Amino acid sequence: MRRLFTTLALVFLTAPILSGTVLLKGGLVHSGNGGTATVQDILISENIIVDVGNNLIIDGNTRVIEVNGLPVTPGLISPMSNLGIVEINALDVTRDDESDLLSAGFSIFNAFNPHSTGIPWNRSNGITSAISTPSASSFPIFGLGSHFVLDGSLEIKGAKDIAMFGRLGSSYGSRAETLSLLESLLEIGELAKNKPVEEILEMTIADKLELQAQDIIALGKVINDDMPFVIETNRAVDILQALAMKEKYDLNLVLASVEEAPMVLTKLQESNTPVIIDPMDNIPNSFDELGSSLDLGRILDQAGIPIMFSTQRSHNYHLMRQGSGNAVAHGMSYETAIKGMTQTVAQTFNLDNRGSIEPGKLADIIVWDGDPLEPASFPKIVMIEGQLQDLSSRSSKLTERYTNTENKPSSYKH
Amino acid sequence: MNNKVLLLLLLFSIIGCSEGFNVDLPFGGSESETTNLEIDNAFASTYTPMNSEPMLFKSANIYDGLGGEFLNYDLLLSGGKIIEVGESITAPGVMAIDATDKWITPGIIDIHSHMGVYSAPGVSTSSDGNEATSPVTAEVWAEHSLWTQDPQFALALKGGVTAFHVLPGSANLFGGRGATFKNVSQNTVQAMKFPGAPHSLKMACGENPKRVYGNRRQAPSTRMGNMAGYRSAWIEAVEYTDGMNKKKSDRKPTRDLAMDTLMGVLNGEILIQNHCYRAEEMAMMIELSKEFNYKITAFHHAVEAYKIADLLADEGICAALWADWWGFKHEAYDMVQANVAIIDQARNGTGCAIVHSDDAVGIQHLNQEAAKAMAAGNRAGFEISRAHAMRWITSNPAKAAGILDQTGSIEVGKDADIVLWTGNPFSVYSRAEKVLIDGALAFDMNNPKIQPITDFDLGIIKPQENRVQ
Repeated sequence: MRRLFTTLALVFLTAPILSGTVLLKGGLVHSGNGGTATVQDILISENIIVDVGNNLIIDGNTRVIEVNGLPVTPGLISPMSNLGIVEINALDVTRDDESDLLSAGFSIFNAFNPHSTGIPWNRSNGITSAISTPSASSFPIFGLGSHFVLDGSLEIKGAKDIAMFGRLGSSYGSRAETLSLLESLLEIGELAKNKPVEEILEMTIADKLELQAQDIIALGKVINDDMPFVIETNRAVDILQALAMKEKYDLNLVLASVEEAPMVLTKLQESNTPVIIDPMDNIPNSFDELGSSLDLGRILDQAGIPIMFSTQRSHNYHLMRQGSGNAVAHGMSYETAIKGMTQTVAQTFNLDNRGSIEPGKLADIIVWDGDPLEPASFPKIVMIEGQLQDLSSRSSKLTERYTNTENKPSSYKH
Repeated sequence: MNNKVLLLLLLFSIIGCSEGFNVDLPFGGSESETTNLEIDNAFASTYTPMNSEPMLFKSANIYDGLGGEFLNYDLLLSGGKIIEVGESITAPGVMAIDATDKWITPGIIDIHSHMGVYSAPGVSTSSDGNEATSPVTAEVWAEHSLWTQDPQFALALKGGVTAFHVLPGSANLFGGRGATFKNVSQNTVQAMKFPGAPHSLKMACGENPKRVYGNRRQAPSTRMGNMAGYRSAWIEAVEYTDGMNKKKSDRKPTRDLAMDTLMGVLNGEILIQNHCYRAEEMAMMIELSKEFNYKITAFHHAVEAYKIADLLADEGICAALWADWWGFKHEAYDMVQANVAIIDQARNGTGCAIVHSDDAVGIQHLNQEAAKAMAAGNRAGFEISRAHAMRWITSNPAKAAGILDQTGSIEVGKDADIVLWTGNPFSVYSRAEKVLIDGALAFDMNNPKIQPITDFDLGIIKPQENRVQ
């Protein structure tokens, strides 16, 4: 118990707003760019990393934090989460991830709740920012995801509507129908290039598909503004269909899940399409993903395909660490795993000032108590935009209450 | 995986599908005057161990599953049993395997699985885990749903799982009987059944039963409705048991499958595995067990078990837990990662903690789940060793399944259910290299011939190939 209090005391001492410069000294720095980790110092001024190296020159006002060789990574970025928009999955009144009115243009941005309990929990586990997305609907496109900084502030930091999300595969009707519906929607995006939204809204097709102005604007962004379009799909032939669509419409395509990707590896490679995978999901959950296996990460990595990670465990987006660790156990390179939780996400979704420990980037940094890919490891320091974060969560408060008799209200003492 | 799909899957795996088929159950067709012994022998195990050769592991590091750690030890197996554990064993003519720098543990055991009853692919035709047609279905047996060709069994084997307990889902107050299986490839259920393992009865508290039946405007729709449902069934079971104990056969009641199961619990032959999340509900279930004089073996999921850790230790009830699942429903909101550790350490370390999966992915990595739970416990101020934490996925689940006298630890005379790991099993990088069941090699990561392929896996993607290589 004593140890917990020491840790907490440390956090409370360090939690107040830092200003000026900070030196994280002597950490084993995984920069997130795919390179090998080396022991380096990181100099942070206000919210920015200003220098990375050895024997950095600092002035007397610089606060030095000894890292003593512990692993240091960029703050992890979840590429697909429900953080801040779903509190309890089975309680509809706590969910803001679905829309009856909108489809492609459904933005969850304004629903984001920075006080959601999942935020401190995932932050204390090393996630410093996340893309939150709408949830799957019967329509093949379910809306727009936004990027959020997980500092809990009511002044929402992040980037609104940065990518569109959809899926292709078995559904209520034929996948052939889904495909043709997807094409129709992308055609509407094409129309938006030259026609005003009001005019498209008048068209029969827009009426038939029950599209709203927001939907049309969003589809236009995917077609004309290079907005990333994330399609979740698994079956080999569906992946090929998605790649064909990418080619036809010049999409900035990202594929998610892709459990049968090894069967269409060359095409995927040629198309230069990044993927989001759950490396632990080797269950043939449906007839779309019969090729599911733990080798997925290794095969994609060896083909040089940019990889990011999702996890099936709701509320525990940090478990992508365990997922990527398992991918490494099955042959993915360690550096790809770290990069996949940091820089690859930033690059794919145009989060230009994050995702790596390099001068000029925002100081989203984690110091770990052990190998970050080991599920048993845990952050010692979480820094978001240069600010040290309190590592407590509702969960840590409950732990404190129930592991120390003195903390328990008298009625709780057994 | 998308979130709504994910939620559906989560609910599916935790609650199971509530849309079961309406099957007319062949209730009590006979009016035979069978004794309990005959009842229990129905559908008995026909399991026979695979052929095995004596085997000697040299210079292994061993966790015995009881808290012991033995570095650089030898382990001799023969006739399907553990023969000797020692510092330097010689056994002329016996196949020796160099296990230097590797680790050996007992076979991993999962006390909460739905493999075979919620098989992969998870399609409606394989949704066989919840007889959600009535809140009390103590008459159904999970083993009667089991699909022997579920590809999930072989995946779990690669994760070191040698035995698992399959439970019905949690849609019902009484979901039916669970059974324990050896993780062997067989095409009859009885041939997989763990010989001599007792049945369990799955009970469920809280949100699931009240939601499933409340949505149909029938009882139970509240937690108090849940309690009334349990009590009514137990009242009937007590009467039934008294009747069955009558000497004159014409005084005995007509045989009833549901009542047989409940009577088995009252007689101490069937173990209660109770899905229950909240602290006060678990305490309530303990009161219920005292009202009707039966024993609860384990609470499952038990996200709030840490709140009543002392009570559970005092009552000798195990808690089978996830390392970190939470938030998918309201009763799973108060998660602490130290839950397993707090249970374990209760009353001077007399608590019975189990790490379970309830999940076809999780079951493959129970060693990692235990690692997370141990680390969280140690961060919370406990001092739990890896050797000790190994109990959570070996001897403790064996105890809760009623098979600890046969498996779950590395002790002389026990079944040679063994995993050889490439490295320390608490590391994410370690993999099960060899898995032995009753001394026979069931899986070898380096030998494709000793990697089970189910019928399902054959030629299903390409006719020339198996689904998994």
